Amino acid sequence: MSKKSRKLIRATPTAEDVAAEAVIEAVEPTAERTFFFLPDVEPTVVDERELHDEMKLWRHGRATRTFGQVFQDGYFVLFSIAMIGAMLVSVVIRAQAGMAGCNTEACASGRLLLPSAMVLAAWALALAMAALFGPVLASAAEGFWLMDAPISRRRLLRGRLVVPLVAAFGVATVATGLVAALSGLSWVQVIAWSAAAGLGSAALVTLAAAEQPKERTALLKTLQATFASAALLLLVVVIGVAAGWLPVSVVSVAGGATWLLVGVAVVALFGMLVLLRVAISRLEQIRRARLLSGGSLVSGMQGAMFALDFGLIRDILVERRMAAIGHVKPTRGRGLGLAALIWRDAERLKRNPKAFLGLAASLFVPYAADALRMVQLNPLISGLALVAGLVPFLGSLRVLSRTGGLARSFPFKTAQLRTASMAVPAALALIWGLAASPAFIGIASTGADHSVADGLTAALITAVAGLLGAVRWVTAGKVNFQTPMMATASGALPPGLIFNLFRGIDMVALITLPLILGAAGYWSLTVALIVFVALRGSFNADDLRAEQEQAKRELAASKQESADRQKIPRPTR
Amino acid sequence: MARKTPVLKVTNLMKAFGPVVIVSGFNLEVAAGEAVALTGRNGAGKSTVLRCLIGAERPDDGTVQVNGTAVSETNPQIRRDVATVIDDLDFFPDLSVVEHLDLFARAHGIPDADDAVDEILHEVQLVPQSGQLPGTLSSGQRRRLALATAFIRPRKLLILDEPEQRLDTEGVEWLADRLVAERQRGLAIVMASHDPTLVERVATRIVRLGDRAEVLVDE
Repeated sequence: MSKKSRKLIRATPTAEDVAAEAVIEAVEPTAERTFFFLPDVEPTVVDERELHDEMKLWRHGRATRTFGQVFQDGYFVLFSIAMIGAMLVSVVIRAQAGMAGCNTEACASGRLLLPSAMVLAAWALALAMAALFGPVLASAAEGFWLMDAPISRRRLLRGRLVVPLVAAFGVATVATGLVAALSGLSWVQVIAWSAAAGLGSAALVTLAAAEQPKERTALLKTLQATFASAALLLLVVVIGVAAGWLPVSVVSVAGGATWLLVGVAVVALFGMLVLLRVAISRLEQIRRARLLSGGSLVSGMQGAMFALDFGLIRDILVERRMAAIGHVKPTRGRGLGLAALIWRDAERLKRNPKAFLGLAASLFVPYAADALRMVQLNPLISGLALVAGLVPFLGSLRVLSRTGGLARSFPFKTAQLRTASMAVPAALALIWGLAASPAFIGIASTGADHSVADGLTAALITAVAGLLGAVRWVTAGKVNFQTPMMATASGALPPGLIFNLFRGIDMVALITLPLILGAAGYWSLTVALIVFVALRGSFNADDLRAEQEQAKRELAASKQESADRQKIPRPTR
Repeated sequence: MARKTPVLKVTNLMKAFGPVVIVSGFNLEVAAGEAVALTGRNGAGKSTVLRCLIGAERPDDGTVQVNGTAVSETNPQIRRDVATVIDDLDFFPDLSVVEHLDLFARAHGIPDADDAVDEILHEVQLVPQSGQLPGTLSSGQRRRLALATAFIRPRKLLILDEPEQRLDTEGVEWLADRLVAERQRGLAIVMASHDPTLVERVATRIVRLGDRAEVLVDE
């Protein structure tokens, strides 16, 4: 055997070696997996009450503070509420006594019709809120974890009716009671009107709950429109009587009205009990999507309320309404450049006819203020009403202001964009001003007595104030939580948070103040001009500062560049 | 060979949020017909760089110029030249898909806006949704609408932040073809992307960013 062959034989693995290698390379046996399967027994029927109790227990377990601690921390707020409440009650009692003594035609009509209008308005509001939120709702977590389980939705959700019913009853009773007392009704009548409003609202919420599982809205919408129109009509009658346009005989039914309201309250109570049974029996059929829709709206609104951002709340509502509409018949635009934006805003008017109802309702306010002898404060009150009336028409300005992304896509300055977005609402405000001018001139026998020129000026200033107040409302930025906080009794708050409450109101007050103080109209117009220039974004201090810094940096960079060029040695031979 | 004048010039860009420095010493020049892809892991600062390029964020230091003009979000010339698709694009809730495109085209002075809208609607395959309001569109359809708004207007520089996001496979294919065509027509493109296929097909340069957006590789 040659040396080479021996070497090869040594290199060839023996059977033992092969076995050893095979053992080493062998795949490790997979660890035995275990799988869990439910035992083959029928699951126990879940008791929804126990489930509720368990959820309550978990929530209590997550609480970080006791009731006592919360009370200790909030004693200042509670004390203030008690003080202010006591003062309000005292004021209401005195006002009631004072108003009860008033025997003029205007007082008599207002005493009967204003609380009645409030009752109808409370019913319309209860229906609107019930339709918006559900009224039965569930959170996203409940929808995901509980609605899939084979548990009775009726038994799980019936407790959810308590909060909307109590809220509707409480708000309507208190608001109507307040208006009734301030109007000068007797205390028995105050109770009758309040009971009718509270029990009626609760009954209507129960009706909405009964209709919710069936997903029917026609009846609710019809009732809501009827009550709102009737409330508005009563207000017109109040104004008409106060201004001397209507004969006083329209209010000669005061005696029977109290019994009528008591009857309404009793019927509402029985109706509520019957409808409650129907609503609870139908809860089993309620769809999960219908429940979660209200829950997501509430959570969105809660977030917005923490920042007191009412603009955001409106955005949420608009988005929901538009998502519900879903599809529109598209229309082609007209014009180029800024004209295209203005034309699109004009086209939008046709798409949103409901907004005109709000604007028309705001037109009642100057006439009401004039008829109720609030001549001096009329520009302020009417300006604020116009803010509410014009906000729905400033949708494009709102979208262009809330994020920079869309505005950046248009080839215009911010000031140009904002001015164009104000064009259509400005035209509407002008029409409103002209339509409201008789109220400022003074056509009511009890109201203002101005010359046509003065009245027209006041009306137009009010219109401008309302427009700029609405512009301020929709363009105000979000609260900046990164700024240094303010120490308050309620904890640390960003300074801008409080001002959020007054946005819009501030501009109206500023512009109408000279008018209220009796100064010449041009002072108000001058203030309005300054406000307009500021609101259209001509003087954005942050932008100007940034541009200045950028220019400085560019100058420094070019200086550095030229200095570097000089340092390069010239080539020499 | 003479170097092309850059459409976009970024010099020594620095941006910090409080004590956290996101971008530091970032330099970039992009010429017409060039497509630069910014890549890097999540949080590398790609989106912040892009937001500084369009003026949505103000840099703490450094300069950004488009065609020699300092970038400012409110400068109409910059708004005219730079088309962007980044995540903060909002839509009018009450305008349909076709009305959005029509408004954009007309606002940018496109004379035959109707034809342009029809063309782009077909291209982004939103014809069946033309009457729909944005709130009812799927996320992919919203992204297509956002891209359409960038393509229906005149532009010299296109800035895109992960444009492939939420698009289906066919949509990404279309986007790649569209961006290549844009580049070949002389448009400057800067995009951040995590899609290697899109980057490979579209980009003429890839800038890989490390932490604080420092340039690791520029190839």
